[in-house]
Amino acid sequence: MKSRGFFLTNAYILSPSTFTESAWLISNRILIRIGEFEICVEDIHFGNMDWQGQKVAEQLMQIMLVVFAIAAFITGYILGSFELMIYVYAGGVVLTILTTIPNWPFFNRHPLKWLDPSEAEKHPKPQVTSSVSKKKTSKK
Amino acid sequence: MHSFSFRANALLTFSLTILALMCAMASLTDNFNSPSPTATVQILNVNRFQKKASGDDEVGVSLDISADLQSLFMWNTKQVFVFLAAEYSTPKNSLNQVSLWDGIIPAKEDAKFSIKTKNKYRFIDQGSNLRGRDFNLTLHWHVMPKTGKMFADKLVLPGFRLPESYR
Repeated sequence: MKSRGFFLTNAYILSPSTFTESAWLISNRILIRIGEFEICVEDIHFGNMDWQGQKVAEQLMQIMLVVFAIAAFITGYILGSFELMIYVYAGGVVLTILTTIPNWPFFNRHPLKWLDPSEAEKHPKPQVTSSVSKKKTSKK
Repeated sequence: MHSFSFRANALLTFSLTILALMCAMASLTDNFNSPSPTATVQILNVNRFQKKASGDDEVGVSLDISADLQSLFMWNTKQVFVFLAAEYSTPKNSLNQVSLWDGIIPAKEDAKFSIKTKNKYRFIDQGSNLRGRDFNLTLHWHVMPKTGKMFADKLVLPGFRLPESYR
């Protein structure tokens, strides 16, 4: 809990690109002051998901939907209400959306370690044209 | 599951597929119902019995229909469509079915009813074969589900007879 004397928000949302994992930056720092109380929330940062997190998210989504479907059907059948079955299932779908679609931090426990870009400069790509001309001369 | 939209798409299609399966299962449970409906119909009066200018007989009747169709309602039932048909055979047609009255029962509470009514639809024969004709009054019902298969059945009430001469 930090105490600052003013209301500071620095919130912006990046749109995800379709080819890479989405990175959502919701807020950098939010400070809310209500009377004497201050709440400072730093770095709510939706990062990427790692491979392990993607698998967990997919499995979690499938299991949650099936469990909610079974629970909804049993509830609707026993209580004799079709509407109740639909409501329970709809609640389950909403809960699944909130749990598995955003990039929560617990999906990123094993983050990927990409090579530093300076490493790529030390190993330049080999030249292609010189090797092709060498082959032609050898055949002659 | 590479990106936000990928996951959202997968979740949406999977949830809709599961919803379709749930509705199919709900429809299957309708087969476990063994209903026991009852009905009685009385003809209070034959109001009109004439031969029209076209040569066809026409009958107007007052009916007293009472039925208990509450056992037809299940959790997957939206409404029950019920109609009363006069069934008879003539030398011209081996089976004639003429609908005299119909109604929609939206809920289980309304399924036990007793009404007095004139025939809602005209009882007109194809020809002039109705004098002294024996006929059945058959109560048909269609159980319309919220999802899935519709079931139809009937209850035959025999023993009605039209007058021998026109009135």
